[in-house]
Amino acid sequence: MDVVRAFAGRDFAIARSYRLPFILDAFFGVLQLAVYFFISRTLPEAGAKLGGAPSYFAFAAVGLIVALVVQAASEELAYQIRNQQLSGTLEVIVAQPLGVAEFCAGAAAFPFVFALGRAAVYLAIAAGWMKLDVARTSWAGLVATFVVSAVALAALGLLAAALVIVVKRGEALASMAVFAMTLLGGSVFPISSLPGWLQPLAKIVPLRFAYDGVRAALFRGAGWGQDVLVLLGFSLVLLPLAVWVFGRALRLAARQGSLGQY
Amino acid sequence: MSVLPQQVNDAEALRGERILVTRALCRRFGERDVVRGLDLTLRGGERVALHGPNGSGKTTILRCIAGTLAPTSGAIVVCGEPGGSLAARRLIGLSLSQERSFFMRLSGRANLVFFARLRGLGKREAAREVERLDEELELGEILAERTDRCSSGMLQQLAVARALLGEPRLLLLDEPTRSLDDAAIERFWNAMERRKTTAALIATHLQTDLVHCERTVDLVG
Repeated sequence: MDVVRAFAGRDFAIARSYRLPFILDAFFGVLQLAVYFFISRTLPEAGAKLGGAPSYFAFAAVGLIVALVVQAASEELAYQIRNQQLSGTLEVIVAQPLGVAEFCAGAAAFPFVFALGRAAVYLAIAAGWMKLDVARTSWAGLVATFVVSAVALAALGLLAAALVIVVKRGEALASMAVFAMTLLGGSVFPISSLPGWLQPLAKIVPLRFAYDGVRAALFRGAGWGQDVLVLLGFSLVLLPLAVWVFGRALRLAARQGSLGQY
Repeated sequence: MSVLPQQVNDAEALRGERILVTRALCRRFGERDVVRGLDLTLRGGERVALHGPNGSGKTTILRCIAGTLAPTSGAIVVCGEPGGSLAARRLIGLSLSQERSFFMRLSGRANLVFFARLRGLGKREAAREVERLDEELELGEILAERTDRCSSGMLQQLAVARALLGEPRLLLLDEPTRSLDDAAIERFWNAMERRKTTAALIATHLQTDLVHCERTVDLVG
């Protein structure tokens, strides 16, 4: 646990040292929320198609906030490993007495916590300033759904990081995969709007359960339990697999002699 | 009270203990054999120089022993543990090329504390360990400065300090005196002298380093 705290402390100190991007990042999120807020004002109410959301803005705000959590929990990890390749610190960390699971947990810790913090801030802004209705919200359900979503998606981040270790520049593929899942999972439009042949695929994308769970907890205060269970199932299967793949990627890089390369 | 490393009571017993054994160590890159059948034994307290021109395989050997590069064939054992294993890595202090091995947005102190914690020290213990090395190696402003503002020589001193964190049994040092001024070189060798039971494998092409080593392994390019 101390190792995980050490990684998180290091990443926080590095993130804080870049003050402007830190602020711009928060500003960018608010800007995105504002875009959907104004789009929502031009659209007629879409009613039942929006999974219980009272307005299109409410629907899209959840999509956006969950997407930000997912991005941070998955893409960030791949970018972090890529940065360590470029800065030369990856090899020296691999030389330390760290187990693969410890390394993974440490590398994922700050992106995970930062993602949840960011979601809380955006949610507060959407509720306080843009009048997102949180009167019926189950806060316990909301936190549970966010946490298990981030854990399940961190596994995808580890898989992307493993790809970066082996083929370098693999973070672009991670971005693409997350973006595709975001669209398919129903972030800013309901999956019923997708062509019929795509809908079965959309229904099994892990992100869909994150969106459904958060919307259920936020707007109905109930019905999120099943989504949390499915996401937990994804985590139980995907996380050990991702840690194993990450370990294999490190071993392959040691065989190829590419740990210190970029 | 001195905070310099204490001599262990059974120093004589540890001195002479087999720390590193390599047998028929080979590493090939593509068609090129960079390391060919290296047999090497290092005992506690022994300093051995890997000497040879650029490209002769010095750093490759250190990487193989550190576990960041897998040998093509052969065996590595560190204090009875297989090379590259978690237990072996716990026993090794490593210093490779320094320009690109620190978190450049963090201070020297933050870097050392981070790596000390990766070696299993708690937050306070890690801070104390860094203070101890600060006193021994006179790191002073290097610890306070952000590493992207440090010169090559300052980073080199920091890298040596990092290798010494947690008093490892085996030190793998790649050109440890490169870019150092005379005073820093003297502090470095004094630090090595104080570690009577630590084995050190030092890659160098400098004749001035060889006089501080008991043995030299000559590598050809």
